[in-house]
Amino acid sequence: MSLNGCQHLQNYKATTGTETFKIIYSYFITCSTADARRKKAQICKCVKCDVVRPRLHACLSCIYFGCYDLKHIHEHSLEKKHQLAIDVSYGSVYCFMCEDYVYDLELEELSKTQCQKTPMSLGLKQRFFPWEPTEEELILLRCNPKRRRVTEASHIGLRGLINLGNTCFMNCILQSLTHTPILRDYFMADKHACLKNDESEQCLVCEMARLYQEFYSGSRTPFIPYKLLHLVWTNARHLAGYEQQDAHEFLIAALDVLHRHCKEMNGVSGSNPHHCNCIIDRIFTGGLQSDVTCKRCNNVSTTIDPIWDISLDLGPGPIHSSQVLSSIAAAAVNNTSTSQTTASTEFTHSPAPGFTNSPGNYEPTSLVECLKRFTKTEHLGNSAKIICSKCHSYQESTKQLTMKKLPIVACFHLKRFEHSTGYHKKISTFVSFPEELDMTPFMSSSRNNINGHSGPNLHSASCDNKYSLFAVVNHYGTIESGHYTCYIRSLKEQWYRCEDHLIKRATAGEVLNSEGYLLFYHKQVLEYE
Amino acid sequence: MADLQERKLKDAHMRATINQKLVETGERERLKELLRARLIECGWRDQLKAYCKEIVQQKGLEHITVDDLVSEITPRGRSLVPDEIKKELLQRIRTFLAQQSNV
Repeated sequence: MSLNGCQHLQNYKATTGTETFKIIYSYFITCSTADARRKKAQICKCVKCDVVRPRLHACLSCIYFGCYDLKHIHEHSLEKKHQLAIDVSYGSVYCFMCEDYVYDLELEELSKTQCQKTPMSLGLKQRFFPWEPTEEELILLRCNPKRRRVTEASHIGLRGLINLGNTCFMNCILQSLTHTPILRDYFMADKHACLKNDESEQCLVCEMARLYQEFYSGSRTPFIPYKLLHLVWTNARHLAGYEQQDAHEFLIAALDVLHRHCKEMNGVSGSNPHHCNCIIDRIFTGGLQSDVTCKRCNNVSTTIDPIWDISLDLGPGPIHSSQVLSSIAAAAVNNTSTSQTTASTEFTHSPAPGFTNSPGNYEPTSLVECLKRFTKTEHLGNSAKIICSKCHSYQESTKQLTMKKLPIVACFHLKRFEHSTGYHKKISTFVSFPEELDMTPFMSSSRNNINGHSGPNLHSASCDNKYSLFAVVNHYGTIESGHYTCYIRSLKEQWYRCEDHLIKRATAGEVLNSEGYLLFYHKQVLEYE
Repeated sequence: MADLQERKLKDAHMRATINQKLVETGERERLKELLRARLIECGWRDQLKAYCKEIVQQKGLEHITVDDLVSEITPRGRSLVPDEIKKELLQRIRTFLAQQSNV
């Protein structure tokens, strides 16, 4: 098979040109206008049997449609001596003389541009094209004939990290990030184009890219992430020093620095300052919707905030909620001008960590329970009255948080460290979490004004909102001193336990029975952009 | 007998009308895109591609035509489509038809 068609196609192109091909293509194969669709609906059927069947072909020499399966188009070709026809469903050209489909570079290019017009005219997303190697990549592939295959038993991508002095909080986050499937794909595909050419040493994103190279190099000795640590220290001063740090705090700081460095790459002049398109935001940012309902007139004031993680309360809750409430009340007062305020100015900054909500007076024992509590309607009491933007009175209200937009990677932070009411302690309650999580009940679209939850959702048949667990960070010890380790999922179902430089195989049961502190879930199905 | 004939004719007519509507409104393209996406997601495309490669390698690139390949893979291709996807598509078509009052 070649991309130069056959001699019959070349003759056809020389005498007729490509205009007919283009017209047939744009009217009957990839319609991009309403007019074309109307015409296609009217005349696109077999002239012989007047029925729409699969594999309809159109003659390239005259206006004729015929079935391929029933050989009606073959009959036409024989009778009229027309040698070429085009498949109406796929746009491939068939040559009756060669008795097979033929491929021509020029026509392939034409059809590619045509194909992109259809989804555009219907407001659909661009069609997915499988990867095709470019000339350059073909040369590279030919020059490097050795292929590595990932098998069940391979340890590819696993590497221990040396503890540089109480840096287990960093190591477990690095392990979790390097085993985030979509982030790994980004770095392994070499997608980060750094503009800091001369000072790429200063770019944390470049350092992450190097970390991936180290992890996948096949080397089995533990890696020493001293450069990375140094970069984090210089960019997030509050983490500098050899003290024990909170892994969650490190995660947020790391995401923030990565996000800032990506942004510098993209150039701040980039089209819309409110919408960052960097890899970190595309993967980790979700939208949290907060609906504050006035108790008097039922007016709902909605705000949507970008978030990178969801912090879930484990304790009995409402004792310390007053301070949270007053801050919400203050925010709500600022927003009284319009009832539909979307986070606009806030978007210029990084998403704020640690949104909390904890109505109810109980201690949840599972992640789903935590999430139920997180998204439950909360009565903002007497102490948190706000001025309603509609009835302009000083009123009590209710608040409900729901997920407006789900991130690709959802990080759940179980707040095991209680700092709120003067005493500091660690909550070591066992909180169960599933391997597969469906977020549908916690979506804004499932919001029910009356009682918060409408039970199992009816339209949750699709797996659009389903997540799989891929990393768990654990903390051992007390609030003052302790140790972090993590479990990561490599390959499809194999779990590993990472403790600094040690990596051991683990079972899913072990993971699910561990005392989770940070839980990382990955979306099962990705939407196309 | 005449009844059956009549019904068949009516069915064919109905089918043609529905198809026309689907094409005209662009819904057919939307369904096609949905189906394409779902088949990729569930691995159908990869499975079938692997099967095609197998056949081509077996017979040799020079001795095989698209027709041969189509007739070889069609039965497997049909049987591999998950029921869930068929159901989703059917549901979408039903919803679409319910919205079209004049069919």
